[in-house]
Amino acid sequence: MGIIEWVRFVLVCAFLLFGMSIFFLEIFGVYRFKYVLNRMQIAATGDTLGIGLCLVGLMIANGWNATTAKLALVVIFLWCASPVSSHMIARLQMSTDKRILDHCRIVILRKNKKNAGKGGRGHGDI
Amino acid sequence: MSRIRKQSEYEKTFAYRFFRWMGGEKDAFVGNMEMRPQKEYVEEEATIEERMRDRRQAMEEVYDSGHNRELRFFNWLYRCFSIIFCIAIVAMLVLTVSYLPSVGGEDKPTNNQVSETYITDGLKDTGAVNIVTGMILSYRAFDTFGETNVLFIATCCVMIMLMVDEDKIRENKDSNDRMFEPKNDVILQVVAKLLVPMVFLFGIYIILNGHLSPGGGFSGGAMIGAGMILYVAAFGFDRMEKFFNEKVYKCVKVTALICYGCIVTYYFLTGANGLACLIPLGVPGRILSGGITLPINIFVGSEVACTMYAFYALFRRGGL
Repeated sequence: MGIIEWVRFVLVCAFLLFGMSIFFLEIFGVYRFKYVLNRMQIAATGDTLGIGLCLVGLMIANGWNATTAKLALVVIFLWCASPVSSHMIARLQMSTDKRILDHCRIVILRKNKKNAGKGGRGHGDI
Repeated sequence: MSRIRKQSEYEKTFAYRFFRWMGGEKDAFVGNMEMRPQKEYVEEEATIEERMRDRRQAMEEVYDSGHNRELRFFNWLYRCFSIIFCIAIVAMLVLTVSYLPSVGGEDKPTNNQVSETYITDGLKDTGAVNIVTGMILSYRAFDTFGETNVLFIATCCVMIMLMVDEDKIRENKDSNDRMFEPKNDVILQVVAKLLVPMVFLFGIYIILNGHLSPGGGFSGGAMIGAGMILYVAAFGFDRMEKFFNEKVYKCVKVTALICYGCIVTYYFLTGANGLACLIPLGVPGRILSGGITLPINIFVGSEVACTMYAFYALFRRGGL
């Protein structure tokens, strides 16, 4: 094996190990955290960063061919879908939890109608 | 009521009693059997205390559990034997597994002429490069027809149980928990605008390319159904109804099923081997080839897509 092969091997190992450790953190956090938004955040981290790192490692290991392009498309698709689903969970939690202010501070970015003063409760118009 | 006998005579006959029982006018058990609703079992505190005291007394005075060496020995032995028993059962099961014939061996009962014929003659008989799709859609087309019927009947059952009238859907539009549902989310809409066309395209590609590459009607249809669900979640039912409402759903579903049935019946009646079949097999590897595989893939795909979307819509608002 030439030196380039070794560098590639080390890079692949580093990416995969880092991705796997983030998956481990995700599973640990999902069972450990008590509050919904914390769990949502750690799950989204695993679904974006963990999967992204693992797939980048696999892409490096695979070299330049069609499979790498497909893996890149998978990464793009997952990075589109996963954060949006977490965003929807967070929004639903915000519109249904009446005591959300006990858990976190809400910053109002854009004032909307009447509900904005109460932290966008009710219809969730924030 | 009897037309031949008088009413008083008729009331004594077996037929009178039987038809009364059939019509549900008289329950045979009422009056003849003791019927009393069961009381809920509630334990009083005094009984609980007594039970606890009895148990403690038994443990301390009868068995003398603090100083009883025999009892401790028995408990120890009990645990040991339970562990040994579990290990023995596990060992027996594992040993049995090791005696099973190995996977992929040559002299297996599953390795018979049927699979060999499928592999060697599959391309020639069905014209599909993807042998799996060619097999389930031409050799075993009636099996797949049954599966498609199962999907149809499943949606029919869910519709019978969950379908609500049109007026009630409008009435309940803004009531109770629907209020909390995030509507018209900008982020979701932008992402849906990007993803939905791609999901649809990929699903259609998988259906149309089912006889050439892995995939087929079931997986492609599931993908299209997921795309429709994403569209509804982002833009709401009002925009969905512009191109997919109950009428379209009924047409697509019934047409797909009927066409599938007709094609399969025709194919099997004419010999099932492409003998005198009107549908040509074509050149293997081209997009317009594979005989009946391609049209059946399309029908199965539309059926599965409709089923997926119908389940979502029925469970979410009780209507399509």
